[in-house]
Amino acid sequence: MASHVANRKRKPTAKEQLDASDVESFPGGSLDSLSSDEEEDRLLHESDKSDSDSVDAFPEIDTDSDSDTEGGDDVDDVDEGSSANDEEFPGSEDEAQDIEGASSENDLHIFPKAKTVVSDITGQPKKVYPEIEPDYDSDSSTEDAPNRIGNIPLHWYDDLPHVGYDIDGTKVLKPARGDELDKFLKTVDDPSAWTSAFDKNTQMDKPLTAEELDIIRRLEALENPDSNYDPYHPTVEWFTGKGKEEIMPLSAAPEPKRRWIPSKWEKQKVMKIVRAIRQGRILPSKPKATSSIPQFYAIWNDEPSSHAPPPLTAPKLRLPTHSESYNPPEEHLPTEKEQKEWEATDKEDRERDYLPQKYSALRLVPAYGQFIQERFSRQLDLYLAPRIQRAKLNIDPNSLIPKLPSPNTLRPFPNYKSLSFPHARGRVRCASISPDGAWVVSADEEGAVCLWEVIVGREVKRWSLNEKVGAVEWCPRMDASFFVVGTEEKLYFFMPPNLPPAIRLATKALLIPSALSSTPATPSLVKWVNFPHEPAPESPHLSVDLPASSGLIRQIAWHRKGDYFATVCGHHPCPTLITTTASGGGQGAVWIHQVSRRHSQAPFKKIKGSVQLVLFHPSRPHFFVATQRYVRIYNLAEQKLLKMLTPGIRWISSMDVHPSGDHLIVGGYDRKLCWFDLELSEKPYKILRYHSRAIRSLHFHPSYPLFVSSSDDGSIQVFHARVYSDLLTDPLIVPLKILRGHDVREGLGVLQVRWVPKQPWLVSTGADSTVAVWCH
Amino acid sequence: MAAASSSTQTPPSIPVVFSTKTQYQLPPQKFMVPASWRRFQLSQLINTALALPRVVPFDFLIRGVLLRGTLSEAANGEWKQEETLEIEYIESVMPPTRLAALPHEEWVSSISCSVPGQSLPHELIRWYIPHIDRAQTLLHTAPWHPAPITSFTIVSSNKASSEQDVLVVTASHDRTAQISRASLNGTETTSTPLATLHLHDAPIADVASNQSGNRILTAGWDGLIGLWSSSIPEIDEVPLEAIAAPERKKRRKVQEDGSVKTKAPSAVLRSHTARVSAVKFSSADDAVSCGFDSTIRTWDVERGLCSHTITVSEKPFLALALPAVPATALAASADRSATLFDLRTGTSVAAAVKFTHPATPAALVFAQNSESQFASGAYDGVVRIWDVRSATHEVANARVWDGQKVLGLDWAGKSWPSPAKVESKYGVPVQM
Repeated sequence: MASHVANRKRKPTAKEQLDASDVESFPGGSLDSLSSDEEEDRLLHESDKSDSDSVDAFPEIDTDSDSDTEGGDDVDDVDEGSSANDEEFPGSEDEAQDIEGASSENDLHIFPKAKTVVSDITGQPKKVYPEIEPDYDSDSSTEDAPNRIGNIPLHWYDDLPHVGYDIDGTKVLKPARGDELDKFLKTVDDPSAWTSAFDKNTQMDKPLTAEELDIIRRLEALENPDSNYDPYHPTVEWFTGKGKEEIMPLSAAPEPKRRWIPSKWEKQKVMKIVRAIRQGRILPSKPKATSSIPQFYAIWNDEPSSHAPPPLTAPKLRLPTHSESYNPPEEHLPTEKEQKEWEATDKEDRERDYLPQKYSALRLVPAYGQFIQERFSRQLDLYLAPRIQRAKLNIDPNSLIPKLPSPNTLRPFPNYKSLSFPHARGRVRCASISPDGAWVVSADEEGAVCLWEVIVGREVKRWSLNEKVGAVEWCPRMDASFFVVGTEEKLYFFMPPNLPPAIRLATKALLIPSALSSTPATPSLVKWVNFPHEPAPESPHLSVDLPASSGLIRQIAWHRKGDYFATVCGHHPCPTLITTTASGGGQGAVWIHQVSRRHSQAPFKKIKGSVQLVLFHPSRPHFFVATQRYVRIYNLAEQKLLKMLTPGIRWISSMDVHPSGDHLIVGGYDRKLCWFDLELSEKPYKILRYHSRAIRSLHFHPSYPLFVSSSDDGSIQVFHARVYSDLLTDPLIVPLKILRGHDVREGLGVLQVRWVPKQPWLVSTGADSTVAVWCH
Repeated sequence: MAAASSSTQTPPSIPVVFSTKTQYQLPPQKFMVPASWRRFQLSQLINTALALPRVVPFDFLIRGVLLRGTLSEAANGEWKQEETLEIEYIESVMPPTRLAALPHEEWVSSISCSVPGQSLPHELIRWYIPHIDRAQTLLHTAPWHPAPITSFTIVSSNKASSEQDVLVVTASHDRTAQISRASLNGTETTSTPLATLHLHDAPIADVASNQSGNRILTAGWDGLIGLWSSSIPEIDEVPLEAIAAPERKKRRKVQEDGSVKTKAPSAVLRSHTARVSAVKFSSADDAVSCGFDSTIRTWDVERGLCSHTITVSEKPFLALALPAVPATALAASADRSATLFDLRTGTSVAAAVKFTHPATPAALVFAQNSESQFASGAYDGVVRIWDVRSATHEVANARVWDGQKVLGLDWAGKSWPSPAKVESKYGVPVQM
């Protein structure tokens, strides 16, 4: 029997196997193909084919050979267990061989296949199944019961006499194990002892199978333990070779030219059609004879399909209320105010879309007023056209106003005109307040310089210069008291009357030193002229002659310490001629004078543009120079340009620096006011445009957080400007008050504004020949 | 009463109780007064109730507000039905009318009517004092100062001199004050400077003397208040070198005569941090001052100490007035208000009543022997007469000059406010 042949093949060692194959005369048998049952089967089939034995005869041979092998092989077996092992493989192989013998060789069928034979009786072909033989192979009852304990650790049974249980639950006893002598004898007796290993499951030595031995041999030879592994396997051509070339869908070939040129062939084709149409051979819009009558069908006739859910019923209409009656009770009628409110609201926002109206009789009720409108909107609905949608911005206009503190919380600031000081004639271009805040000196274009008290407004002294006065500035020194008046090409130094003796002597010593310092070695363009020691009370104590034709002195800027001051000459630019070129203000425009040394110098040899204004930095040796469009900051100590600010103003008219020195405001004739944070940027931090005419003057309050701007529109605007010492907080600028009270004369309004030190009071000079004091 | 009861039927009536501090006392009685009544009817009611021989017009105060319209308007909102309305009545002040204008060549800064039969307007810049008697003739002009005089006061005459002699203290921009004697002998009036007071380094704003006439106070722009005795020293107390200045030729000439002595202060009151604008004696030993530093300070003159300070925010005070019983002080500030402060409270910020003006008030004066009536003159040329109990509205006003400032103000007699004024004119409006 084949199974026995196979079993035998597995059992013997390599040598014996060779013998066995010789004995059994398996021509195709090879040692390598012994790994699995199927392999064996295949081999067996081949051997069967080569045998070309009759199929029928095979089982009979099996039975004979079975007994033969039983006897022959059992000699090799050491004990009963091994023989029982031999019988492990049931008769599937036998059956398979039967089937194969009957039908195709390749079919692997476990169950026996029918054989088609011609029936002797009927003469028809019939299927004959092989008979099932109830022999030894088909029944395993005679087999020795193997151990059935499963895959459990066997050391559990170390102390027990048995090694497990068979299928009936009876104990499988441990085989008797001989002592060392017996082992030795066994190795001597048994030639296969050296190829056997101890099997824990059966607690005895089992000979290794040929496959196991083969694995061992391969491992020893450092080969792959898998016997089927072929290191020299021929190349399998999956993607290469004949007929397996990869066909790529993309091509790197450039687009051919014909893709871009119009196709000649198509043109010909189209032309042919065109010609045919022209000749009338083709009718382009041939009336469709059959479909000329429109095809209609009644869309609503059919019952709605039963699958769809039933259509929703329309919501019930609200019942009319009393107010919808044509003759409602009086309390439902809207009042006049409600009616106006209803008419004022938009249609979408109305709470109800009608106004109750009262008619004494039904026949007096007019036609429905909304008829046309409602039809129209119904039409729009049917066309699925959207109704007009108002893009309504629900923005509270108050929320757009920046959150600024109320001016009432930022008091004090000037809010009314306390008094006005009239000048006789001429525009009052300039005024200055003494550093102690008690006196004002104002000068007009007729040359009258008036000294008056701030709070009473009484003129105390008047000087007549008979020259146009362009600038007046009080010296900021507290230990000396005098002011400088700038006229055309001349500067005059005046002392106010009624000074305390100490200050009076100090001022005199400053202006009229007893021992004049020697005249400067280099003749300067600027002459300092002293007046006699006991001057008449009307005449100045000292004057400075600037070079001829330098024009009106427009500005005097004192240094904080009161020794240096800078003057700007030139002519006041006419506000109406902004587009004309600047007059004056060239390089000779700026002079820096030193009172103690009686020395004047021009700080700039050459300067771009016409200088409008200059300023000293309140704490650092910096010097601001405003030309027509730019503000340059120079370091006087190092004599170099530090920064250039671009306010974006077309013509700068005024400028002031914050007492902290970190902020600068610049005003222009084009109505703009720029706030510069000097630490921040060279562009304005904020641009204010509140005036309706050119800005004339700006001033920061020396102690209060206020600044003021005056304009040709006759108004003065007071701002709160709080500057924070911490660099992260932006300055807070709040417009506080617009002060009106100056008349506009010849297009000129308020020409200069100055704060009174120590008080939130304001002094403003106007083109209407008055000077006004504004108190809080 | 009959009139009141007869008119109760028509409009709703209000039960009222009248009270007064004047001599015209009504018996405490409840009147039913129609709500539509105005001041005139109420005044008539009181006149008929008292059966006064001459009609005296009255004004009515309802909870400190002067009655302007009808009673119902005045009581609107605050008054509940069936509640008795308390009405205080005061003698009406008629709007002053101008009797005469006395032109001056210069600004008049100060005026005093305390010399019997005379009033002394005081020119600001011509440095002289014209004396004007009731016949409105200029009696005398004295060039005493080389700079504008800001203020003057008449020291109560001491026994030593004759009755016609008055001591006048003038304060000026030239940083000195001066004591002069003016003799008003019949038709001829002469004046002689006696002593100059040297303390201040800045113009002197105000000068004041006490009732007994032995002390003088000067308030300067330099924040100092000088206390002086009114006695004339025998010798110069301040060396001439300290005050010598080349421009004071005139002064020197006067001083070279030897009759004018220099005088040093007996004490200096230092506490103000800015200009002291006004100072007044509240009693013989106490003074009140106000200044640009927004404080009102009371001084113990005897010890030279500041006894109490009232600090308000941002109110540079310009003028000060004290009532007859100086428990309160009225001060005018540059924020267009006159404020009444209680001097007795210990707290620094006192409960204040504010009288708002449309222009800067520069002159304040209480009516003589009055605790409630005062007059204020403002830069809009209007003299307003106020009652302390009615803060919202003035009792009467009179436009004295158009567009010119009222700088000084005094009551001549009981009911004569006489404003001093600027620019070449001097008027005495008189109340009828």
